Amino acid sequence: MSFHIEAITVLLNGLQQGAIYVLLAVGLSIILGTLKFVNFAHGALYLIGTYSGLLLALEINLTSGQLQEWGYGQLGLGLGYIPALIIVPFVVFVVGLAMERWVVEPFKDRPDTDQILVTFGLAIIVQELFRAFFGSSSLPFSQPAWAQGPPQVPFLTAIPISSWRYYVIGITAVLVLIVYLLVEYTDFGLIVRAGTRDPEMVELLGIRLSRPYIVVFGIGAALAGVAGVVGGPLNPVNPTIGNEILVPAFLTVVIGGVGSIAGAVLGGVLFGLTQAILVATYSAWAQVGLYAIAAVVLLVRPQGLLGEAEVAP
Amino acid sequence: MSDEPAAAGETDADAGNSVADMIGVWAPRGNEVRVVAGTAVVIALFPFVFSRMPVVSDLLQGYQSLATLILIWGIFALGFDLLLGYTGLLSFGHAAFWGGAAYTAGVFSQQVSGSPVLMVLAGTAFAVLLAWALGFLSLRRGGIYFAILTLAFAQMLFYMSSSPLAFITGGENGFTGVETAELFGMFGLESELPSVLGLLLGTWLYAFVAIITVLCVALAYRILQSPYGMVFRAIRENEQRAEFVGLNVWRYRLMSFILSGLFAGIAGSLFTIHGSYVPLASFYWTTSGEVVIMTVLGGTGSLFGPMVGAGVYLYVENIVSGGHPFDFIAPFWHLILGLVFVVTIWVFPRGIWGFVRDVRDMVTGGED
Repeated sequence: MSFHIEAITVLLNGLQQGAIYVLLAVGLSIILGTLKFVNFAHGALYLIGTYSGLLLALEINLTSGQLQEWGYGQLGLGLGYIPALIIVPFVVFVVGLAMERWVVEPFKDRPDTDQILVTFGLAIIVQELFRAFFGSSSLPFSQPAWAQGPPQVPFLTAIPISSWRYYVIGITAVLVLIVYLLVEYTDFGLIVRAGTRDPEMVELLGIRLSRPYIVVFGIGAALAGVAGVVGGPLNPVNPTIGNEILVPAFLTVVIGGVGSIAGAVLGGVLFGLTQAILVATYSAWAQVGLYAIAAVVLLVRPQGLLGEAEVAP
Repeated sequence: MSDEPAAAGETDADAGNSVADMIGVWAPRGNEVRVVAGTAVVIALFPFVFSRMPVVSDLLQGYQSLATLILIWGIFALGFDLLLGYTGLLSFGHAAFWGGAAYTAGVFSQQVSGSPVLMVLAGTAFAVLLAWALGFLSLRRGGIYFAILTLAFAQMLFYMSSSPLAFITGGENGFTGVETAELFGMFGLESELPSVLGLLLGTWLYAFVAIITVLCVALAYRILQSPYGMVFRAIRENEQRAEFVGLNVWRYRLMSFILSGLFAGIAGSLFTIHGSYVPLASFYWTTSGEVVIMTVLGGTGSLFGPMVGAGVYLYVENIVSGGHPFDFIAPFWHLILGLVFVVTIWVFPRGIWGFVRDVRDMVTGGED
């Protein structure tokens, strides 16, 4: 492989990995920015997205877990990937609404630490429920047949990357753009942003903030769900994936700047590219490099790359 | 045993005066003798009741090694609570100090000396220095950012030890070359203590860990009852007010972080001595999560709550997961802990210890 093809491969891989981080980080970021709620269960939403995507898209055979012991080892609707991509966001959206109603609301006025603790506990419960029912072993979530090889487009055929990765990048770009437009250019977004600045004043104007807030949480959750579906086929699927993705996702938010969608995108791309480049060059340092970058950014610019200093507590 | 602030030196002031003159600041104050002696008695009786007492131990299914492990994690949780319960800072990176000390103690035993005392000193020294550095960096931001930053730094160490430093740490396999020598060159840690002590405490390892645990409880009690420790609580209650009173909040927080790192370091080193092996997972952030669960479960902001929490957690992890008392619970032990954890935060933020104290207050009519 010539050098430039290799370089492009690495960049695309990085963008794809970054896209997953971006999807998670944008959701986390708008939740943190508007509701001021720390959601350590965001990885659990990703986990729910992956498993529901897998069950909708494919038919699987369980090899362990309670469901298999009870004789329901063959699962899955086998609808294919496109229906899964459409249905899963709605499923996780509803999960998000329920979470806002029954977890976020009661913990709104409690300290940050309680919010972190309760969502951390929830994340454990979700993870263990999946482990109990579906077993600890990795489940096969293959990429769709039509997206396995390189896309049959001039030039891109030479780059050894499955077209699924292009879809991941594309889907992320479209969704993030939609969320950005929603927040920046609609009345809904105006109310949410105003509520972030001065909730009391907005309520005094006769606007009930609870409804926009619950929707914001739902959108954040749905984005995590999408990340689960598109990211699922790229890695082994087991109950710990939510746990593993949570830390980089949080770091993406923090280095990008809390509440800033552009920051989340920048942070995610920076993370993805760093990881891909290090994997290709000094692979032992790939993960360490990620955290080192995060540490340096935070020491130089504690509010994050695109964060506003005065908003941060 | 009580961790309420005592009316200064009322009971043993007379008895302690001559001693106090001799050794000055190290003389016990107020309730200290009562608390420390009570702890020592409980810890001395614990392994017998837990693993050897005729009827009780059959019901509990306990065993000696688990008793030791409970004390070790108890020290870890005790130190963690110094930070979370008393200063109000939630760190998700305490695995860094636990794991750092565990690896240091392990490598130290192989390269320098296998003396248990020196291993603990080496591991703890490393943890304290690490806590200083990481605290210095993480405390630049408060609240959630602090939680995330500590988490990030600990994860960085996890990945450091998993590959770039694998030539020292053993990478994925963990560190296997632990060579613990005999205590003071005389007593094998696995051998039994003589006569009655053997029946009560069991092994030298337990005795060693038990003495350190009592010292840790005494140290924590002394810190928390001192004016210095009062400042921690003042910061937790109202940071701004503490700042306005003229306290340097940042410095107190950093010291609280270092102190909790110290306890984590002691515990981590003991863990290496106990298991003769350092798994890579001791750096992973779920280890930090475990100590968080133990502390909250047992009750934050109390001296003994976290230790009780550690006991309950390890009991469930090691005994209930094995099918005792009910077989069908076994696969769901972690799930049940998660549920109990969430319920605890939700409706009973003061944990098991808080519950016990409420019951006691009801019985005694609210008198301490």
